[in-house]
Amino acid sequence: MSPAAKRANRAVLFSGVVCLVAVLSWAAENVSQTVQINIGAILASNQNDSFDARLTHLEKQLKVLKYRSYRLLKEESQKVQRRGNATFEIPGGRSLVVTPQESGSRQLALKVHLQQGGKPLLDTTVRLNSGGNFILGGPPHEGGVLVISISATAQ
Amino acid sequence: MMRCDDISEVLGAWLDGQLRQSDAEEIRAHVAGCPSCGEERRQLEGLQKALRATFQSASTTIVFESFWRGVERRIHQKRSWYEDVRRWVRDFWAPPQMAWSVPIAIILLLLGMFTVESFLPGLRPRESRNNFAAVDSIDAFGRNVAVLREDESKTTVIWLYLNQEGEDESSGETSESGRSF
Repeated sequence: MSPAAKRANRAVLFSGVVCLVAVLSWAAENVSQTVQINIGAILASNQNDSFDARLTHLEKQLKVLKYRSYRLLKEESQKVQRRGNATFEIPGGRSLVVTPQESGSRQLALKVHLQQGGKPLLDTTVRLNSGGNFILGGPPHEGGVLVISISATAQ
Repeated sequence: MMRCDDISEVLGAWLDGQLRQSDAEEIRAHVAGCPSCGEERRQLEGLQKALRATFQSASTTIVFESFWRGVERRIHQKRSWYEDVRRWVRDFWAPPQMAWSVPIAIILLLLGMFTVESFLPGLRPRESRNNFAAVDSIDAFGRNVAVLREDESKTTVIWLYLNQEGEDESSGETSESGRSF
């Protein structure tokens, strides 16, 4: 076999290996098994004009709600397998159950169940980008309302 | 059985000893018994002798010494880095080396498909990401609920209307929860 043919064969072999590695890594990335769920329970009220410094990353989103004061009550993070449940205790005797329905590298579907003392308050299924979040609010709490930021990241 | 036309085609090769033993034997027998092929053989042999004599006499007049000196000089000559680079670039674009452009193109294509974000999550600023969440289904168990999508901050808000802790709005009490966006 001539050196040129050997070189061409090597290049073709290398191409094959590159493609194989790429396909495997793509598959591994898109069939993510674990999802990290982060929640932040925030008390929003009009009692004063304070803004909790720990909520700076959510400031733009919280401004939509038009309250004067925001205080972080609780922050929690849990890693959960696909179709597994992550249960968070929320101030006011409530609990939030988050179940990742499907997960890829880019988009996640979450089933969210909010309840108080065994009584269901809300059941919803939300699709969001990995690393993204949404706001769930409304339950009254300590003269204000409870606002929950829920974010999920595929891992 | 070979004909004279076939013999004529391979006569030169036979005289140079390039044929197989069996073919050479067949041609020898044919040429020995065929006057026209025998004549052609004699002419070819005469031509070969004349050419050999001409080349031999000419070779004595050629000075090979300078030629060999030139070859030796080029073998031991050190090339400049510029020459090496030029040669490498020239060889790189030659067809066999160009085969490497295939895996390189595949790698670049895959990098583009995965995007920088896939390989380096969090590299892109948070503000530039589409943070909108899509609500597929929602059940507030008889209570009022609103879904808001705010364009500026790309935020999705699900707002549950409850009048006081644990009670729904049908109780008639008012609180800050009953707000409008």
